[in-house]
Amino acid sequence: MTPETAYLLYFAFALGGAGVYFLLPRGEATKPAIGALFGLGSLIALALVLSTRIITPDHTTYYFYLFSTIAIAGAVRVITHPRPVYSALYFILVVIAVSALLVLLEAEFLAVAAIIVYAGAIMVTYLFVIMLAQQTSTPHYDSRSREPLLAVMAGFVLMAAIATRSADIAPSQVAGASTALNNASPIVLVSDDASGDSSTTMDEALSSSNTLLVGASVMTKYVVVLEISGILLLVSMVGAIALSRKRVPMEGYRPTAPPLGQIGKEVEPY
Amino acid sequence: MREFLTSQMGVSIMLAAVVFGVMQGVVAYSIYFERKIAAWIQDRCGPNRVGPFGLLQPIADGLKFVFKEDVIPGHVDKVLFVLAPTIMFVIAFLGLAAIPWGGQWMLDGKLVNVQVANPDIGLLYLLGVGGMGVYGVVLGGWASNNKYSFYGAIRATAQMLSYEIPMGLCLVIVVLTMGSLRLEEIILPQTEYWSGAIPKWNIFLHPLVFIILFITMLAEANRAPFDLAEAEQELVGGFHTEYSALKFGMFFLGEYAHMITASAFISVMFLGGWHLPWLPWAQPEATSLAAVIVKMMVLGGKIVGFLFLMMWLRWTLPRFRFDQLMRLAWLGLIPMTLGLFMITVGLLYFGLHRSWVWTCGGDAVILVLTLMYVAVSRREVSGRTAGMNVIGVGTAAG
Repeated sequence: MTPETAYLLYFAFALGGAGVYFLLPRGEATKPAIGALFGLGSLIALALVLSTRIITPDHTTYYFYLFSTIAIAGAVRVITHPRPVYSALYFILVVIAVSALLVLLEAEFLAVAAIIVYAGAIMVTYLFVIMLAQQTSTPHYDSRSREPLLAVMAGFVLMAAIATRSADIAPSQVAGASTALNNASPIVLVSDDASGDSSTTMDEALSSSNTLLVGASVMTKYVVVLEISGILLLVSMVGAIALSRKRVPMEGYRPTAPPLGQIGKEVEPY
Repeated sequence: MREFLTSQMGVSIMLAAVVFGVMQGVVAYSIYFERKIAAWIQDRCGPNRVGPFGLLQPIADGLKFVFKEDVIPGHVDKVLFVLAPTIMFVIAFLGLAAIPWGGQWMLDGKLVNVQVANPDIGLLYLLGVGGMGVYGVVLGGWASNNKYSFYGAIRATAQMLSYEIPMGLCLVIVVLTMGSLRLEEIILPQTEYWSGAIPKWNIFLHPLVFIILFITMLAEANRAPFDLAEAEQELVGGFHTEYSALKFGMFFLGEYAHMITASAFISVMFLGGWHLPWLPWAQPEATSLAAVIVKMMVLGGKIVGFLFLMMWLRWTLPRFRFDQLMRLAWLGLIPMTLGLFMITVGLLYFGLHRSWVWTCGGDAVILVLTLMYVAVSRREVSGRTAGMNVIGVGTAAG
């Protein structure tokens, strides 16, 4: 990575940070127009950085730019919108855009799984809670960001560091031919030593179906992770049930169900 | 140009346009049939004033939806209020993209799929799109800023979240049996025969799973007896209380489109999709244009059958109470489907998952165990307990 690209990347993140700072809800101090302008500049700078690394642009490249722009804009709105319901909805938009990017990576299973899990299940529950908590207007203390400057600095410095580190990977692995992507990306769950003779036949057999590939690698290479996350989910479920159950006094309780032969005969109509 | 039109892409685009157009009409006419069936069950005439047998009624209704005043009340959240019916409508039609309508078509010497999209994960796509459908109801109910609407939205959310679990488990059982997530590959093994006569449809393999899946589909489509989100007696109109004109029409059409998608889906999963035994055009080997049309009609016939069943149920069964609905899902369907899932996995291990005797036996075991548990637990069917404050016992007319 050349120093010019690195400086361009830093510049993009500085612009982005400034944009988010102006967009964060702070009452009258919010300047959405300036923030949007900075954000646009940041996106253009990022696109410039990326365009130096694409060897053979094809139609997926345009989809990539389209969906990643939607994802970034949606993510910014998640943290800058003053009303939590809209934040949740923008998060759903981000999930859908990221799923589209996963489809471009030929990881259809993960794309649909993300939509089912995040948009279909988790966000419905979130939305439910948010809606129950706030019917109409958001209170003042809930719609203002408290430390916008520090939050933006911490977030964007970290992001710039991660981006410059990960940009050192060879360009062929970032965009371009999908085979290179498949071999490089941990997202698509292709084993790193695909060239090894033992795994070649399995890869050939599985290459027809993304779902089979994900299933096989989850059950072989990542089986410990799978088991541990399963136990973690079980523990959290038990904890949630233990926390949410009310203690019901049992003294006055008498089961009043009729004896076995009488079921259905003694139910009073109401 | 001809080369493009006969490629998979061209066929997909044309089919998408045809399916979208035809479905608009089918959805409108399914509302007409709902009213006719309701009238038939209640010994009335039904719509019979507009055109012969009232056949132009959907057009009159559509015109009424378009030309009525579109009221947006002052107290609503305007963006979401407008967005909600759109989401409902779009999502209901999105699912149709993955339905295999007519098998394969030999076109200019190439085989193309008569299917808008044939993704690797067709079944999961339908599941994901179905899961998104709840947003239309939830946002509409919340944005209306009205207690009745909001109660409707809350009921819809809790109901859909609960019934998605047994539905997912039922689909997992089918996937384990068929070994594929691609809908076309789920149909193909179903076109074979047992002893040359009985088609290997999944309904014969897993009748109990079919029934449970149908129940959860009713709940997911917000149909009676699970239509608590729009219970008129309690909630005025439920989540669409504040909606009028075209927006109400979109909710309405969305519900019926959801029913059609669900019917097509369950036909593919359990009734062999476009396959009909002994009909030469409805076999996987037939790839001519006539065969494609016959296959579409076969699938359409199955869809109409399911639609009729749903409407029949709506005008026959009373609505559940909400705690009964929840208990049915969490204490009834989820344990049952979990048991069925365990049995299917066990049969898969021994390679018996396609054997009729074993799968039906497993279903029967689960059914008998459930009935035994229900009998032994001695809970009252209505769900009444000792401490429950029952309103209206002993008083006239509840």
